[in-house]
Amino acid sequence: MAKGASQSQTTSSSTSASRPGVVAPRGSAAATAGMRRRRLGSGATSGGNISGGSGGGGGGGNMLRFYTDDAPGLKISPTVVLVMSLCFIGFVSALHVFGKLYRYKASGSD
Amino acid sequence: MGGGFRVLHLVRPFLSFLPEVQTADRKVPFREKVIYTVISLFIFLVCSQLPLYGIHSTTGADPFYWMRVILASNRGTVMELGITPIVTSGLVMQLLAGSKIIEVDNNVREDRALLNGAQKLLGILIAVGEAVAYVLSGMYGSVGQLGVGNAILIIIQLCFAGIIVICLDELLQKGYGLGSGISLFIATNICENIIWKAFSPTTINSGRGAEFEGAVIALFHLLITRTDKVRALREAFYRQNLPNVTNLLATVLIFLIVIYFQGFRVVLPVRSKNARGQQGSYPIKLFYTSNMPIILQSALVSNLYFISQLLHRKYGGNILVDLLGKWKDSEYGGGHSIPVGGIAYYITAPSSLADMAANPFHALFYLVFMLSACALFSKTWIEVSGSSARDVAKQLKEQQMVMPGHRESNLQRELNRYIPTAAAFGGICIGALTVLADFMGAIGSGTGILLAVTIIYQYFETFEKEKASELGFFGF
Repeated sequence: MAKGASQSQTTSSSTSASRPGVVAPRGSAAATAGMRRRRLGSGATSGGNISGGSGGGGGGGNMLRFYTDDAPGLKISPTVVLVMSLCFIGFVSALHVFGKLYRYKASGSD
Repeated sequence: MGGGFRVLHLVRPFLSFLPEVQTADRKVPFREKVIYTVISLFIFLVCSQLPLYGIHSTTGADPFYWMRVILASNRGTVMELGITPIVTSGLVMQLLAGSKIIEVDNNVREDRALLNGAQKLLGILIAVGEAVAYVLSGMYGSVGQLGVGNAILIIIQLCFAGIIVICLDELLQKGYGLGSGISLFIATNICENIIWKAFSPTTINSGRGAEFEGAVIALFHLLITRTDKVRALREAFYRQNLPNVTNLLATVLIFLIVIYFQGFRVVLPVRSKNARGQQGSYPIKLFYTSNMPIILQSALVSNLYFISQLLHRKYGGNILVDLLGKWKDSEYGGGHSIPVGGIAYYITAPSSLADMAANPFHALFYLVFMLSACALFSKTWIEVSGSSARDVAKQLKEQQMVMPGHRESNLQRELNRYIPTAAAFGGICIGALTVLADFMGAIGSGTGILLAVTIIYQYFETFEKEKASELGFFGF
């Protein structure tokens, strides 16, 4: 886990202490760190590594990251997910509205 | 397995039906990430306020009351299940894979895909199972009262909400958003709770005339309406059973303390072997394991509570069951029980300073339990998660980093001086802060606040990092 993060941390802290001469190696180091993180993220042993977002140095939140890899499946784009969720919210609200109307009518006809 | 049959392969037929968010094939710009994160958050918030359609009542006992903090769920709303399905399925799969009950070769692409698929499938199945169990157990009123149609509608709503949470989490993790969906949802839920307790405009009639629920609003309301200002102030600061200003101040104080402690770190200098002159540092934070100890601790405790409550309700008089925990309905309503005896009582925070003075043994036991549990979980977690001294030494070696003044073989020993100490001590600190928050009566339990602060801090760090990398891209 903290692997990727700690690496990027190492490199970024070298950034803060940067001197003019080390620009190129730092860039490449950052790139490799990024790539390594990607690889580690996907090769996560039992989901236990990964922490990209957790800011490194800590094990926080990494257990909470599961889907890092590509799997064959019903591919949906992120917009579809958002639209789907909004539709769901709309659907439930509609149910409430119709429920109210129906009840009102039913009590009215009695 | 000789026959080549593997449990994991059972998932394959379902793989093509599982929803799967496309991986970002380009680098998603920071602004877009923020937008995706905000929209997901908005959806989550709406869902956790939107009541389920068709429920009859939610006044029964609530055995999950103690779990709601870490599961980001809200009673009677579409988010009733919260993140339970994802977390449970993740834990189960990790457990199965870790104990080699299902064999996963992480180097094989297909295996990883199957494992992910299995996790998602299990998550959906758990959502379905829990929805059915909730409805059948009469949590929203008995099935007869609800009617079959409504019961089915409730199940559908809960399942779909579960699927949406899974998709949103995946969306955020696949690089469209910031951080992980789960921690985002937990933090949001807790923050919402705190804001609500501070500014809620609901009035509650508690015998002394209508009072506002929100601490700040109540303060102003009391100051304006009462003629005796001193008594009004005292009332606003110390009222029981409703959030008061002291609670709010305690919450803010804990926030500040945790943020202050986050900055504590030991910085080890490291030097690259092949790129001459490139110096870096490897910081070891005091909160090395971040909020993991309390997540694990509260998971343990809430499961214990759950089991103990079920047992208590079924077999009340049994000595063993009573030893585990005795429960009583809360006086202040809200439909949850509070522990009044047994182990469950001693691992619950005392409700106030007065309670603490009355039962010093309880307070002491709670303190010792919290500190030792957090330290223990913290130490275990570094081993499990691969951030122990050995793993870190290996990473640094892979990166061709050495510590100046130490031989390469010494690296692990050198790290070993700091990492286990940081983990254990950090765990103790987290535990102590949780206890402190509980004793001071901070809003929304110590665990909740600590979780929220650490998650928010992580987000802050991610933010900074994203910004820095963005600037880096434009700079070169």
